[in-house]
Parts: sequence; C-alpha cells; structure tokens
Amino acid sequence: MDKETYLLLVLSDSNLPTGSFVASAGLESTATHALFHATPPTTGSAATATGTTGTGSNTDTSTGTGPTGISSSTSSSSILAFLRNSIDTYARSALPFARDAHRITTAYAKNDIADLDVALAALAKIDALYDACTLNHVARRASCAQGVALLSLYARGFTCPPFLLSTGTTIPQGVDSEQEQERDRESRASALVAALKLRVRRGAGGESDDDALGHLPVCWGVLAGALGLSVDRGAHLHLFLHARGVLSAAVRMNILGPYAAQQLLLHAVKPLLTEALSSTAHLVSGALREEEVHLEFEAERLPATTWPLGEILSMRHDLLHSRIFNS
Amino acid sequence: MSNIIQDAGHGKITAQIHSDQVVFPVLAYTYPLKLLSPRMQQERVGVVYMMTYGGGLVGGDRISLTINIEHDVRLVLLSQGSTKVFKTRLGTRAAIRSTPNTANDPTTTMQRLDVSIAAGGALFLLPDPVTCFRDAAYHQAQTFRLAHGASAVLLDWYTSGRRARGEEWAFAEYYSANEVFVGGVRTARDVVLLNGALPPPGDGGGQLLLLPRRTLADRMRPYACYATLLLYGPLVQGVVRELEERMRKISVFRVGEPLDVLWSMSGVHGEAGGRVVRVAGKETEEVKMWLCTALRGLVDVIGAEVYSKAFV
Repeated sequence: MDKETYLLLVLSDSNLPTGSFVASAGLESTATHALFHATPPTTGSAATATGTTGTGSNTDTSTGTGPTGISSSTSSSSILAFLRNSIDTYARSALPFARDAHRITTAYAKNDIADLDVALAALAKIDALYDACTLNHVARRASCAQGVALLSLYARGFTCPPFLLSTGTTIPQGVDSEQEQERDRESRASALVAALKLRVRRGAGGESDDDALGHLPVCWGVLAGALGLSVDRGAHLHLFLHARGVLSAAVRMNILGPYAAQQLLLHAVKPLLTEALSSTAHLVSGALREEEVHLEFEAERLPATTWPLGEILSMRHDLLHSRIFNS
Repeated sequence: MSNIIQDAGHGKITAQIHSDQVVFPVLAYTYPLKLLSPRMQQERVGVVYMMTYGGGLVGGDRISLTINIEHDVRLVLLSQGSTKVFKTRLGTRAAIRSTPNTANDPTTTMQRLDVSIAAGGALFLLPDPVTCFRDAAYHQAQTFRLAHGASAVLLDWYTSGRRARGEEWAFAEYYSANEVFVGGVRTARDVVLLNGALPPPGDGGGQLLLLPRRTLADRMRPYACYATLLLYGPLVQGVVRELEERMRKISVFRVGEPLDVLWSMSGVHGEAGGRVVRVAGKETEEVKMWLCTALRGLVDVIGAEVYSKAFV
C-alpha cells in the first residue's frame, strides 16, 4: 500500500478528534425551517432520473417517519438535494483556500519556500481573506473551532513520537537519502504547524497583522500538505469529509437511516464530488496576488457562494429554539 | 477603472459640503448611464438617481461609476425601478455560448461601482433590485473604501426574474461581488455566483447512475427575492441596535412550511459596528417591506422626505 492510500485511511477515520461531530453545516436549521426541498422535481426527465437512482429505496425502513413528518424515501431525496447545494457552495467558496494553503505548506516543507515567516505570512493572508469572505457568525465559529482542532490533531497525533525515532538504529550516512529527505520534510512541516498554531492561539485575543484565525479550509490545507498528500487528494478528501459530516448529522437528527446514509455516500456523493472538484480545480483564493484583483473580471476564477439560502439558514442556526448541533 | 472596461457608460460623482448643502463639483456620465440629482432641502444630504436609457440593460452593456464622498456628506444613491437585464443581444442562447469565461464574454452585462467615503461621510446605497430576464448574464462588482469614522448602508438585492411571464430563476448567470475596506483593511468580501446552466454531475465515464438534473430554481426556491445589506459606521448604529433587539426575540420552533420572509444578521470581523444582514422572501414586495421597516431609523439620519424616495 502506498503512503498516500494509507494516509487516506487514517484521515477518513470518523473517530478523528476534529470536532466535526458538533457541526451540521446548516442541516439542522434547514430541517427546522421546513426547507428541505421535498417536493418532487417537476420536469419529466428529472422524475424519471429520480426513479433510476434508487437512493430513496425501500431497503431502509428503520427511519420510518422521522420527526419532520417525511417518509424515509422522501427524506433520502431531500437530504440529497441539501447535499448537492451544500457540496457545491462549499467547494466553490472554501476549497480554493484549502488548495492555496496546501500549496504553501508543501512548498515550505520541501524547502521551496525557505523562510518560515514567508510561509506564515502567506497562510495569514489566505486565512484573513477567508475570514472576510465568511460573513456568517455561525459558520465562522464552526470553521475556527474545527481548524484549530486540525492543527492540534497534527501536532499531537500525527507527528512521529520520539521513541520511534530514537529506537531505530542510526541511518548510515548517504545510504538512505530518501528517508533522510522525508524526515527533513516532516520536521519542516511540523515546525510550520507549530508556529501556525501559536499564531492562531495568539490571534484569538490579539490584533496583530500576522496573527491567524485558523479557519477550517486553511488548516485542512496545512494538515494535508504537512502529511504529504497531493493537493487534489487533499481537496477531494476535505469535500468527502464535509459530505460525510452532513450525512452523519442527518443520521443523528434521525431524519435519515444509517443504511440510507451509506447508500447516498457510496452512490450519490461520489459523482457529486467529482463534479464539484473538477469545476473548482482551477480556482484560487486570490489572497496571494500582488496586484489588485478586479472582481468584475474574476467570476470564473475566485471563490463565491452559490447557495444564498443555505447562508441565511446557517446564520439562523443560533435562533433555533432547540438544537443539538453547534452549526 | 476607466482603462479597464472598454465601451462603457462611465459616471463620476464628487460630493462635498458647501455651507451645509451638498454640492456636486463633478457629476458626469456617458451613455447608457444617466445620473440625476434632484434638489433636496435636507442639510448635508444629497440624492443621486442612477438610471439607464430605456430603464434596462442589454447584453454587452458596460457601466462603471466612480464616487467620491467627502467629509460629512450623506449621499443617497437610488434607482428608478428595478434594473432590468435583458438577454444577450445577439440572440445566442446562453446554453450554447461556447466560451466558458462569461467575464470576457462580450454579451455579459457588467456594472462596476467604486466608492470612497471620507471620515464623517456616508453612503446610502438603496437601489431597486436587479431583475435578470431569461438567459441574461449579469456581473457586478462594487468596492467601497471607507475611512475610519465613515458610514455606509449598502443594499444589494435581486429577484427571480419576470414572474408575470413565468420566468423563475431562468437567467443564465448572476454574479455579484461586494468588497468593503475600512481604513485600507479589507473587512468583507461577499461574492455570490448563481449559474442557471448547472452542468449535470458526471462520474467521468463509467457512470452508473444519473442524478436528476437540478435547476437554479431548485436551489433558490421557495424564495423569489434575496437581499444583502452591509451596515457600517456611526450613523447606522441606531438601525443595528434595533435589528439586534428584534433578533434577540426570535426563537424558531419547527415549522410546517417555510416562512414567508427569512432574515438574519452577523457581525463583520474586525469592525465593531459592521454588520451583514441577509433577507430572503417569497415575494419581492415582502422583502421591500422588510427592508423599509428595518431601515426606518435612517429617517433620523437622512430625513423623512429623502427616506420616502427609497423603497417606493
């Protein structure tokens, strides 16, 4: 098994302490506001296609009629509609920041960016722009909490423990330069994460320019880059985890059965991810440009929200009379 | 900006105070943009109507407006009726436009607004909503540079189209970017991109299932009008306090069907008094009513007569 595949296995563990289990990405608010689009599609072709998906199949009867009063098959297709909107807008608005942060981290780890402060300044720029683009206190809160958790995860869970480094016999000079290179990469990566973590902690109270907020997409990019994943893999996994988080929240809200959630994840989410990733692969955050960005000509290249309703619903999360999630 | 957009209708406004009256040393415009400034009795308050010939924009129109608001000027920018964006001039259907880059597509309609506001000055941008007709493609970018101590009420809203003719989110593309700098620091960049021609999801070959085609309407329903309001500075704090009070009283219980109007407010990071308010409504009229009520406190700032010209 190659290193990247193994990393994907480790990172897709739902037990990773990332704090994502308290986030529903607006799903809970959407349910409370009765804004699942449970109405069947009106066009003939769409209706036919729905029939062929099988995502709303009868194999999962465990949900029965959930608290929303919608049947399990309706609930599957409503949650699929939510997922499509959510994946689309998250890919368009957040992934460019994750990709840019990933690239900076990779460049620093490989010594293409030599200076730690240069790498940190670039990450701070990406982080600050993401913050300016996130005009939603609920999403901002969830993003910062999960971002910081990822940095802690790397620092405390993914660096190589000293006893594993020291027990091995010393590597003969020049014999295994590849391994040596990898150690150098890892030590630079962990130095970057440690320094970023410090700035995020400082930024929670301070107002200094190079303090960071530690937004989720930025910290994800840093984590994935520090572990040595490729940018595309990192983006794919990040979006997959976003989708799985929504499905997991739906199961815990009891509006989707656990089998139906797996069905969606296996069959429906896959093509949605492929589409969202390919249509956003060319985007950049825009934070690293020296020259002024002319927004009127950048519709094709810059991050954007594509689901304004989701934004309002997410912002209204704190107004819900009863809630089990933080976002 | 003038060198950026070619073949554009340009406008330029400079507003200053002259013995408590707002004067316009510069108020210039070229076709198809038109600027009108009715005389107002209100001290320190100036009003400018932004209009286009024929009351609409067609594919390929380029408008750019630069505004300089000097100390203590309270400038109210209004439109007369909604900005109607017609489909591309060449009659080409959006779906078959070959270029993927609508920004460089000569048939995309573009509006550009650049405003700088000095300390003590204020902009009240309260236009009617943008309405994109079937197959129309519209891009707008608005940049606001506020000095510390400047104020702004920035309304950006759009509707689902000509509903009387059965159009519901039937336009090709709507793109709106708003950016606010305070004292040279970016505090908000709000970018919305609504693409009518959503590509069907594919699995890149070997596709096992066909997800139903989803339209923009599926994503926007049941609401037909969306508004974003950015609030900055000392002159909006009365409005902000009132909205905060209203928000505190909201407690959402599970509802059986969607509310007619949904709204919420968030703080803008790094700018203590800055707020973003978002509103969605099933009817444009309901959103207009909501906004008119929410901003009623501006009567104390720009006067009742001027305020009555907005949201008519």
